[in-house]
Amino acid sequence: MSILRNVAVLAFVAFAYGCASDVARTSAVLASQPAGDAQRITVVEDATVRSSSGYSRTLPAGSTWELRGTLPQGRVYRRVGDVFTVEGAHVHEAYLVVSGDLLVGYYLPVEQAYSQADPVTLKIK
Amino acid sequence: MRAVWSLLLAIVVATVAGCASGPKFNTVETTLPALSSGKGRIYFYRSSSVGAAIQPEVLLNGTVIGTAKPHGVFYVDRDPGNMEVVTGSEVDRKLTFTLAAGDTRYVKLGVNFGVLVYRIAPELMSASEAKADMADLAYMGAASAQ
Repeated sequence: MSILRNVAVLAFVAFAYGCASDVARTSAVLASQPAGDAQRITVVEDATVRSSSGYSRTLPAGSTWELRGTLPQGRVYRRVGDVFTVEGAHVHEAYLVVSGDLLVGYYLPVEQAYSQADPVTLKIK
Repeated sequence: MRAVWSLLLAIVVATVAGCASGPKFNTVETTLPALSSGKGRIYFYRSSSVGAAIQPEVLLNGTVIGTAKPHGVFYVDRDPGNMEVVTGSEVDRKLTFTLAAGDTRYVKLGVNFGVLVYRIAPELMSASEAKADMADLAYMGAASAQ
């Protein structure tokens, strides 16, 4: 009986592992940034952010982000001097989408898509 | 007891035999060809020998450009654009990122334990982390497949 239970657990894990959902997204067109907007922001305090797939990432204090354009949802920033990715079934390079001081989602430059995030207030300067 | 030692020896030999060979990356790094104008460079490396028997092909935008050999590093130069990396191990897990002219990107071929076997998953790394990881790896040369 115990063997059967182990097989069942293994099968479940196999099923779950092989079916991680990908990052949910919708097509998005990045518009050029308005003149006068701050070109760079710096995260002042560590922030844990989560993507639609459930994976989380930490935006470390001191990380700098450069304005790359805008979406209807907010301004789009790319990490400077480092990399930032979001993860689901696959891993995608991602930029932050920030409205005011609220992280609202991610822009995926390869997929040219917007992915909504659980909103997180960022301490930025 | 003797059988156990023989088995351990066989495992060690199999692991070592499966590792990449070549000069240490940090001894050849400064001799590598400069990046051509208008191109970007991508380094691929696998720093772990865990799951050494699993050595899947590495595909960049659908073309095989190398093999995920343990303790090995190689690079490709490409025109700027969107990049998609896939390794043909247990589960296809792709990595997407952009490459700009003059840019250098670093892809670690990480080892995870899958359902039944190890799987090799590509991860985008920062230059500082990647350079530290690659220093002692075996340089396997430049991949030429376009």
